[in-house]
Amino acid sequence: MVNLVLKFAACARGGGLRISTSEVLDCVGQLELIDCLQEPQFEAVLRTNFAKSRREQHHFDQLYHLFFHELRQDFGIFHTDGLQDRMEEFLAVLTPENNAGPLDRALLDFMAGDPLAFLQEMGRIQGEGEGRRQGMGSNLGSVTRRLGVMLQLNRLQAAVTQFTDENIDRIPWEKRKSLESHFNERIESARRLLLQNPKPAGENLKKIISHDQHLADLGETAFVSLTQKEVEELREVIKQLVRKLKDTAGLRYARQKKGVPDIKKTLRQGARYQGIPMEIIFRNRPLRKTRIVTLCDVSGSVWSAARFMLNMLYSLQECFTRVRSFVFVAGLDEVTEIFEKNEINQAIEKVLGEADIDYGAATDYGLTLRLFKKYFMDVLNKKTTLIIIGDGRSNYSNPEVEILDDMRDRCRRLIWLNPETKQFWYSGDSEMRTYEGSCHEVRPCQNLNQLLDFIKDLVL
Amino acid sequence: MAFSSVEATQKDLEKCDYICSENIATVVFLAHATQKPILVEGPAGVGKTELAKAVARGLDRRLIRLQCYEGLDEAKALYEWEYAKQLLYTQMIKEKINDVVSGSNSLSDAVDRIAAQEDAFFSKRFIQPRPLLQAISSEKPVVLLIDEVDKSDPEFEAFLLEILSDFQVSIPEIGTISAVNIPFVVLTSNNYRDMSDALKRRCIHLYIDYPERDLEEKIVRLKLPETGDRLIGQLVNAIRGIRRLDLKKKPCISETLDWAQSLIALQVEDLSAQVLDQTLTVLCKYRSDTEKVRDNLKTIVADTGSKWSTLS
Repeated sequence: MVNLVLKFAACARGGGLRISTSEVLDCVGQLELIDCLQEPQFEAVLRTNFAKSRREQHHFDQLYHLFFHELRQDFGIFHTDGLQDRMEEFLAVLTPENNAGPLDRALLDFMAGDPLAFLQEMGRIQGEGEGRRQGMGSNLGSVTRRLGVMLQLNRLQAAVTQFTDENIDRIPWEKRKSLESHFNERIESARRLLLQNPKPAGENLKKIISHDQHLADLGETAFVSLTQKEVEELREVIKQLVRKLKDTAGLRYARQKKGVPDIKKTLRQGARYQGIPMEIIFRNRPLRKTRIVTLCDVSGSVWSAARFMLNMLYSLQECFTRVRSFVFVAGLDEVTEIFEKNEINQAIEKVLGEADIDYGAATDYGLTLRLFKKYFMDVLNKKTTLIIIGDGRSNYSNPEVEILDDMRDRCRRLIWLNPETKQFWYSGDSEMRTYEGSCHEVRPCQNLNQLLDFIKDLVL
Repeated sequence: MAFSSVEATQKDLEKCDYICSENIATVVFLAHATQKPILVEGPAGVGKTELAKAVARGLDRRLIRLQCYEGLDEAKALYEWEYAKQLLYTQMIKEKINDVVSGSNSLSDAVDRIAAQEDAFFSKRFIQPRPLLQAISSEKPVVLLIDEVDKSDPEFEAFLLEILSDFQVSIPEIGTISAVNIPFVVLTSNNYRDMSDALKRRCIHLYIDYPERDLEEKIVRLKLPETGDRLIGQLVNAIRGIRRLDLKKKPCISETLDWAQSLIALQVEDLSAQVLDQTLTVLCKYRSDTEKVRDNLKTIVADTGSKWSTLS
């Protein structure tokens, strides 16, 4: 039993779950307490120890199913009718000629019922591209490697057919059939593993679609189709909102005022009553500062919305003391300083004119994330809220979702604002589906109402 | 003894008016057997807090609750020195202090003498225990509920680690206080932010989702036994239909119960579209949600499979 759990833990690690030794120890200890023959209980113990967040559970379920159902379902048959021998014979036939690479060995292990090496290989393929720093960021590498595995699988399948054909006289018909179907099933599950990216279940993700009508017409008009006059009106509304935010921040201060006692003041106050401290005075506690880091896409596809986003960034920066703003197309530049030094309209013009960015380039989210990782990763910590504003259209380059995962791990909250209509999110070169899994929250942000909702949620 | 096996746990919880799946029972049983904390996650209103209450009832222990929020610190969660009391005592026993130092012939001698009495001021007498310290120093074992731990700051989370793994707290002036009895700890989280790996590693993880149909029917039957079987079936079907919609806030179990109760109050025996329309306010807490459900009234009607009177 212990071996089985250890093996499963190793496979789960290979498949990308983070499992510590103490968790394995706990798990083994707990298995002694329950009735292991009851599968729901057994599964519950493994799940409770190995998948410690909702995001991981879906992945865990897949691995559990693979390990305990697909690969081990017919353990009983093996020993009874000598099928095991035939399998070993078959694997032995394949081994010498295919002793070439780790992939082949991994696949053969998988066929023999040990998925560890194969899962690790898969993990490597999915993490592909992270190590590469130069050249066009693309996901071609992982595609070709997947293709290689796919071809190998096809070869294996052919080999199985060939093996049964060659031994048509030696092995009785039923055994041949069951052998073949057994192997084909395994190849099938290997193929399934290859094709699906383990992605967390999206049901838990907060998707906000607002229907509230604040400023009935104006609020629902998309940023794209605003007239000059309406733009001015919008600015006014945003200004009001910012004022309100400041008030709320003040309220928060009042409520959380009490900190440690201020001895000096208490004694001074006490002097009025012959040194008896009638009233304890507490030191004011400084307001917890929300740190915000924003990444804003300013490429052509979101051009019209970009102005408003920058507008919002500016307001945010006015309201909070620690906001760092970045803009990107296919490259990244920090614009915090521009916002600090200039008046709003000037600042926006400056960002769109002077930032060190090639505005003509094709948007590349992967490159942006890589650059962010290289230069600014230290900006994120557990107090930071990271807001990414963009449509996720990355011109088919490598999305580098691992980096985004990494960023999520480092910050308090990761929110994606998408200025596109929701219907188009998953079409064309949009990587929203890929990125979505790594975010805490995804919101459309097309018009004023949605923007207002967002800012309120963020602060109030 | 309560909670002696998984099946017994399930039954014990049921006796405390908490109906749960085998998964939940297994986790509760394990937590009880291994004395590890449970970290419960799930959408709002699926009974995370209720689980802790049920466990407290089942084990016949006191429930100590710590509600977490932004800015919660040690002084609010663990202990606080009662400064006012300390200062007042100092004033009141001024003469006694004079007695103590009266015979001393130098300043340093006087300081030494007072120092010998220092324990009088930093003793348990002047400590005001907050939930965490209460839970640890309680003579009888308790259930400690740390509610919405994800709302607290990362610093507080790190501070919880000592308590959760060793069940002891360090008070600099006094020393380390170890738990008299190890409490049954339940942490709940709404997934507002991810908890740190270190915290997760110390806990048993449990995710509670919206209940299956049978379970939900059972819950309604248990909490509101006067509801008719037919109505319960329709009710639960309708709720499940509404949950499938893309709402700001999906109705949870407590809302199902509220709804059932209002239907009983209205003396409804058979759920109709009109009734649903009229009582929507119990289920939907946002106007946009109400409108959305109203738009989809027909689909929900069709899904329940029961006979509905038309909306005319």
